[in-house]
Amino acid sequence: MDIKEQLKKILVEELNLEDLTPEEITDDMALFGEGLGLDSLDAVELVVLVQKHFGVEIKDMEEGRPALQTVATLAAFIEKKRQG
Amino acid sequence: MKHPVPVAVTGLGCICAAGKTLPETLAALFRGERAPAPSRRFATSYPTPFPVFEVTEDFAGRDDLLRTSLLALAAAGEALADAGWSRESLRPLRVGVCLGTTVGSAMNNEDFYREYRQGQEPSLAPIRRFLHSNPAASLAKEYSFDGPCQTVVNACSSGSDAVGLAGAWIRAGICDLALAGGADELCRTTCNGFHALMIASDAPVTPFDRRRKGLNLGEGAGVLVLESEALRSSRPARAFLRGYGAACDAYHLTAPHPDGAGLKRALREALTEAGATAQNIAFVNAHGTGTVDNDRVESRVLAEVLPNVPFLSTKGYTGHTLGAAGGIEAALTVACLELGKIPASIGFAEPDSEQRAVPVTRTTTVAGDLAISQSLAFGGNNAVLVFGRGAR
Amino acid sequence: MNGMAIQGIGLVGGFGCGRDAFAAALSSGAAPTRPAPFAGGEIPALLADTAPLTRFVDKRALRRIDHFSRLALLGAHLALEDAGLPVPERARLGLIVATGYGATATTFAFLDTVLDGGDALASPTHFSSSVHNAAAAHTAILLGITGPNLTVSQFEMSVPSALFAAQGWLAEGRVDAVLFGGVDEACAVLRYCWHRFFPEPSDVIRPFEFDRQSAVPGEGAAFFLLTGDSGKARYGRITEVRQGNAAVRPPLLDEALLYLLGADGHRECGASYHRYLPASARCAAYAPSYGSLPVGPAFDLVVAGLVCRDDRLPSGAGGEALAGRELCCLKFGRGEDYGVIRVARD
Repeated sequence: MDIKEQLKKILVEELNLEDLTPEEITDDMALFGEGLGLDSLDAVELVVLVQKHFGVEIKDMEEGRPALQTVATLAAFIEKKRQG
Repeated sequence: MKHPVPVAVTGLGCICAAGKTLPETLAALFRGERAPAPSRRFATSYPTPFPVFEVTEDFAGRDDLLRTSLLALAAAGEALADAGWSRESLRPLRVGVCLGTTVGSAMNNEDFYREYRQGQEPSLAPIRRFLHSNPAASLAKEYSFDGPCQTVVNACSSGSDAVGLAGAWIRAGICDLALAGGADELCRTTCNGFHALMIASDAPVTPFDRRRKGLNLGEGAGVLVLESEALRSSRPARAFLRGYGAACDAYHLTAPHPDGAGLKRALREALTEAGATAQNIAFVNAHGTGTVDNDRVESRVLAEVLPNVPFLSTKGYTGHTLGAAGGIEAALTVACLELGKIPASIGFAEPDSEQRAVPVTRTTTVAGDLAISQSLAFGGNNAVLVFGRGAR
Repeated sequence: MNGMAIQGIGLVGGFGCGRDAFAAALSSGAAPTRPAPFAGGEIPALLADTAPLTRFVDKRALRRIDHFSRLALLGAHLALEDAGLPVPERARLGLIVATGYGATATTFAFLDTVLDGGDALASPTHFSSSVHNAAAAHTAILLGITGPNLTVSQFEMSVPSALFAAQGWLAEGRVDAVLFGGVDEACAVLRYCWHRFFPEPSDVIRPFEFDRQSAVPGEGAAFFLLTGDSGKARYGRITEVRQGNAAVRPPLLDEALLYLLGADGHRECGASYHRYLPASARCAAYAPSYGSLPVGPAFDLVVAGLVCRDDRLPSGAGGEALAGRELCCLKFGRGEDYGVIRVARD
């Protein structure tokens, strides 16, 4: 499973988005506001989940904000951190 | 909205990282001193240890109660002595206790739970200690009080709410005297929670500053003695509780309403009760946690509702003491109103671009007979207290 | 002072969901227990199911809301529904939650994340829902209640103590109505502690056997819509709330009242009922229907409300007529602290 697929599964299962399946989440769907409808508490939970599942640390929201836009941006962030 | 009768504040007590008594704390504030540091009592595994504002007192030999209750007892003892009450003189009275807390009512002993998970038979001592340590009940038991007893668990506005609620007890004649305020101890579990929310700073807290990175946790207790007029008789009051307003944002579990809807309403109600307008307010002891969101919303509301009223955050000196904050800050507010001056809002240097209200940067003389202490909390709670000058 | 009129009741517990389920348990004398597990064992308990909440709140809105807050939400929605229209203006409605232990399951779920993954993996979602006022916050958000919001935690005295605040808000005109509830949950760790403290499990509470340990852990929520008006009270009127400590000053307990005892099978508290109640006082106790939990007095207050509505005791107790008497919910805690809630029929 690639990072994006893994992320979609994590979003649905760990943020309890029971009304969605991972397949329904597109790579470019906005995570917050319109789109998936996540909020600031989900954002900090996602920071922990990224650390837990990918071993990648998001130090603060300055770093987190651009990464936490879409599944695609988050996957790119994780890949870059893993290489770097 | 009615104009409730003012309730006399006859004694104050406070213990926090800045001092073990109210006079000690005030002296540290006006000297501009603070010393946040990693906890001496517990460790966390973060790469940078987060600074906290810890009370140096260890309460050696008191394993029977949680530290939160011991902090409450210390502040209550000081407040009662300040008001001139001995244990014996209190005996014939109906005395109420209304205290805010967060940690003092939470069963979160890590060692116990770890052993339970591992299938061992953990000692029940932590459970017994928890069951004996309800802050209001342990204080009532210590003094053999027989009145109303209430532990307010409204997160970070608990202490302010406790003072406001106890004021209503006095007015309703439910008790003659009430000990009101808050108490909280530093706790590893709470520290982990605030770190997880990414609102704790790894540097000393800078309330209202452009570069603010979050709060530093603290611990302590602040207690006020409230008395009915019949009981107070001709003895002077240090201050009067003149107004209390409370309202809920009903917006989000952890984020304040972006326009501060609940805070504005709480401020309006408290001012109306006190029969006051912005012009009558000498200063505001703001919530000022040093988090990005809180300080943005709070400074915006202060600029709108109380323009040009000097304000500060004492959390730069004490850390965020959670359930104790409202009690400690009420005590400091009354003391500063008596002195006619407030200390610099330590940690603040530069406002951010969208901020229209900035705190005081040096010791500032304040004029006016009323002062405000306000708290915002998890769950969108807002509590505002208005104190009026006494005659002591 | 008009006292506080009880205009709506909503509850959930080991007996089921709603007034009718509770009334059925009262008539039969007890609710049946189920074995409830903890790490390494199980004990009989009266646990509550919050599935009916989906009638009021959609699944998405519940995704971060734990069992404790769901109990509160269900009780709150049912009480508002029962009170019927007109719905009080939400800005003039206060919300009070009384809880003995708070959201214990989520507190331990938060510790799980720390113990499993280290400090860096502590869950912010669990932490924010473990705070004692999370249930009141979720309820305010989902029901749009912007009036004052209070959570009180005073172990067995949580309900009488929190009622002081409802009384004060109404008397001082801060609100037009108060949505008031007691909530407690019996999580696995609580059941484990119970088993350690009381190694001999009990399957049914024997409230009047004061010197016998027969408590069965219960959980649930009981909510009320309270108003200060002098109009007709659907479920009677709370005329007095009192708190004190009998070890300091023995309580004055009028023998003419009909007592609803909070005796719930805890030997440590049972002795006080025997010691301080007038020998001739008429007493009933209903803990076998809702279980043993710190906010038990909220369920006794429901009984009082139903008695006022029906003008007689539940049929399980012979359906004795109220006959003009006032009711008194009386609860003793572990240290001889006590709480009194007097209720009168209009």
